[in-house]
Amino acid sequence: MFVQVTNPGQTLPNLNLLFNDKENLKDKFLIVSDVYPTATTRLADLILPAAMWVEKNGMVGNSERRTQQWFKMVDPPGEARDDCWQTIAIAHRLFELGHEGMKDKDGKFIFAVQDEDGKEVPVWEWEHYYDVNVDKALFEEYRKFTVMKHKNLAPYEEYVKARGLRWPVVEQADGSWRETMFRFAGFDDPFVAEGKEIDFYHSVTDDGRGQVWFHDYQPPPEVPDEEYPLWLCTGRVLEHWHSGTMTRRVSQLNRAMPTAYIEVHPDDASALNIRQGEVVTVESRRGTCDLPVWINGRGKPPKGSIFVPFFDESKLINNVTLEAHDPFSKQPDYKKCAVRIRKQSAEVAKR
Amino acid sequence: MNNETESKNVAARGSIAFLVGVIGIAVVGYFVGINDGVPQEDFEQHAPWLSSQVEGTDQRSETPSTSTIAAVTYAEMRRSQTGPTGQWKPKLDQIPQPQYDLFAEIKPSEEDKLQSMLTRASRRAFNGAPPIIPHVVEGTNDAACYACHGEGKRIENRVANRMSHGFLANCVQCHAPPPPKPFTDFDTEVETTFVGLPAPLKGERAFPGAPPTIPHSTWMRDQCLACHGGNAGWAGLESTHPWRTNCLQCHAPSATLDQSIVPEQIGFLPEPNVK
Repeated sequence: MFVQVTNPGQTLPNLNLLFNDKENLKDKFLIVSDVYPTATTRLADLILPAAMWVEKNGMVGNSERRTQQWFKMVDPPGEARDDCWQTIAIAHRLFELGHEGMKDKDGKFIFAVQDEDGKEVPVWEWEHYYDVNVDKALFEEYRKFTVMKHKNLAPYEEYVKARGLRWPVVEQADGSWRETMFRFAGFDDPFVAEGKEIDFYHSVTDDGRGQVWFHDYQPPPEVPDEEYPLWLCTGRVLEHWHSGTMTRRVSQLNRAMPTAYIEVHPDDASALNIRQGEVVTVESRRGTCDLPVWINGRGKPPKGSIFVPFFDESKLINNVTLEAHDPFSKQPDYKKCAVRIRKQSAEVAKR
Repeated sequence: MNNETESKNVAARGSIAFLVGVIGIAVVGYFVGINDGVPQEDFEQHAPWLSSQVEGTDQRSETPSTSTIAAVTYAEMRRSQTGPTGQWKPKLDQIPQPQYDLFAEIKPSEEDKLQSMLTRASRRAFNGAPPIIPHVVEGTNDAACYACHGEGKRIENRVANRMSHGFLANCVQCHAPPPPKPFTDFDTEVETTFVGLPAPLKGERAFPGAPPTIPHSTWMRDQCLACHGGNAGWAGLESTHPWRTNCLQCHAPSATLDQSIVPEQIGFLPEPNVK
C-alpha cells in the first residue's frame, strides 16, 4: 500500500480496528510519503521524505475547477523528493518486477517520457527526472481524457502564461483559450445547448436537469445507552489543518491551540465531578483517549454530548470513533457515536 | 419577673435596632450595587471622558442594556462572562489620547527602532505574517478589537497599534489568539529550523537626501501611520514629517514585493541613430 499526501493513521475512524496493531500483518508492505513523521509513518515499512509544494514543480486542480501550474522555488532539504518522482520510481520498480498494471497496452512502461528527439528519458532515476518536463508530458496525456466529458483543459503552455484557468477551457477562433467562469450557464459555458439558459449536460438522467438526491432516514448505528451515555462528535479547529502535521509545527498556531480537548456541557461536568483542565478518559466500545476538559469550549455542546477535535496526533480521538459509514456518500460516521467519560484516579491525574 | 421582661424587651429592642441598621445598610448597598460601577462625580473629575451619557448595547446578552447587570448565583459565577458592560464599551472611544503635535521635531532613535523590530519579530511567524494577539481576548469580539485597534490607542506606555489594513471581520481568523484559558500552562514552543524573511531595516535612496523607497510589501500594510507615526506607532519607526499626508507620493513602493508586475526587463526605445 502506498500512502501519499494523507494521514490515515490519524484520520481513519476506529483506529484500533482499521490501523493500529497491523505491525505483524502477513504480506503488509506500507510505503508512506510525507513531509514530516506522522501517525501513519508509525506503521510504515518504507518512508519516503517528500518535497513541500514550493520545493517541486506541479499542476494542481481545485474544487473551483481551476487548474494551475507552478514552478519550484527552492530545493527540497536532504533527500526529500517530488512525490511525482516517487510515484514514477516505485511504478518503474514494479514494472521491472513484471507487474502487469505498470504496462500500457503495448507492454511499455506506463510513465514512459520521451525527450524532443523521441528518445526515452529514464525519469525514474532522480538524476534524470528534471532532464525533461515530466509535468508537461503527463499533463498532455491526461488532457486528452478531459474532452470526453466536456471538462476540456488547455495545453500545458497556456497554464504557464495564465496562472490558473477554470475548465472547460476552449480554443477560440483567434487561437486563444477561454476559461469558463459559470458552468452550465448558457451565457458563459460553451457546451450548454443552443438557446438554453441552464443545462446540466452529462446528467445521468440525460434530461439536462440538476440532480437532487433524496434518501431514506437511516437510524444511527450506535446510540447512547446506560453504559455509554454521551454522544461524541469530532471535528476541526480554526488553527490546525486536518491532522496538524504542518500547522502544529508553527509555534504561533500551536500557541493559539496547543492541545486537543474535550468540550463538555457544564451540567454534565457537574454530574461527573470534572473540572476545567482536568484530564479525563473518553471511552467507547472500541477504544479510549485521554483529554483535558474544556467546559463549554468554543462550541458549547448541548447537554449529553461532547466534542473533541482530531488534529492532535498525541491524543487520537479516532481510537474511540465508529467505523460505520454512510452507504451513499461513503463518509465515515465521525459525528456521532456513544461514549462515556471516566474520571482518572488521583494518581493517574497527577502524572 | 419584671426585671426579666424588661431585659428581654431591651434585648428585643436592641435586636430590632440592629436589624433596622442592617437593612438600612443593605438597602444603601443595593442601590450602590445596582449602579453598575458608573463612576460618581469626584471620580469623573479625574476621568472626564467617563461622564458623558453614552448608551450602548450590552453585547453579553440579547437584551438591551440597562444600568444593571443580571445577577448570577455563586454557582453560575464561574461560568458567567465578565468584562465591560455595554455602557462602558463605547467609552473606550473617549479615552483621552496624548496631544499629538504634527509639527514637533521628531528624531527617531536607532536604539528604539531595533527594540521595536525585535518586538515585532517576536510576534510573527515571519516578516509579513499577521501578528499574533499578545494579550487575552477571551469573551471579546471584532468590535472590541476595533475599539482600540481601529484608530490606535496609547495609555501611558501601553500602545494598541492601529490596524495596518482596512476593516476586516473575524480578526482571529488571521491573528492567532493566546491559548484558551484551560490550556494556558501548555508549553507551546515547537522545535523548528524555519527562518522566514527578516524584516527590512531601511529602504533605498536614489541619492543622499532622497526619500527612501518602501522596503516592505504594502499588501495589508497600506495604513502607514499604523507603524510610522501618530500616538500608536512604533518607537524608532516614526515619520519625521507626519504633516505630509500622501506617503506614496514620495516613497516608492515595490512592484516585486507587491507581486504586481514582475519586472523582467525594463524596456527602452533603441539608442537614437545620431550621425
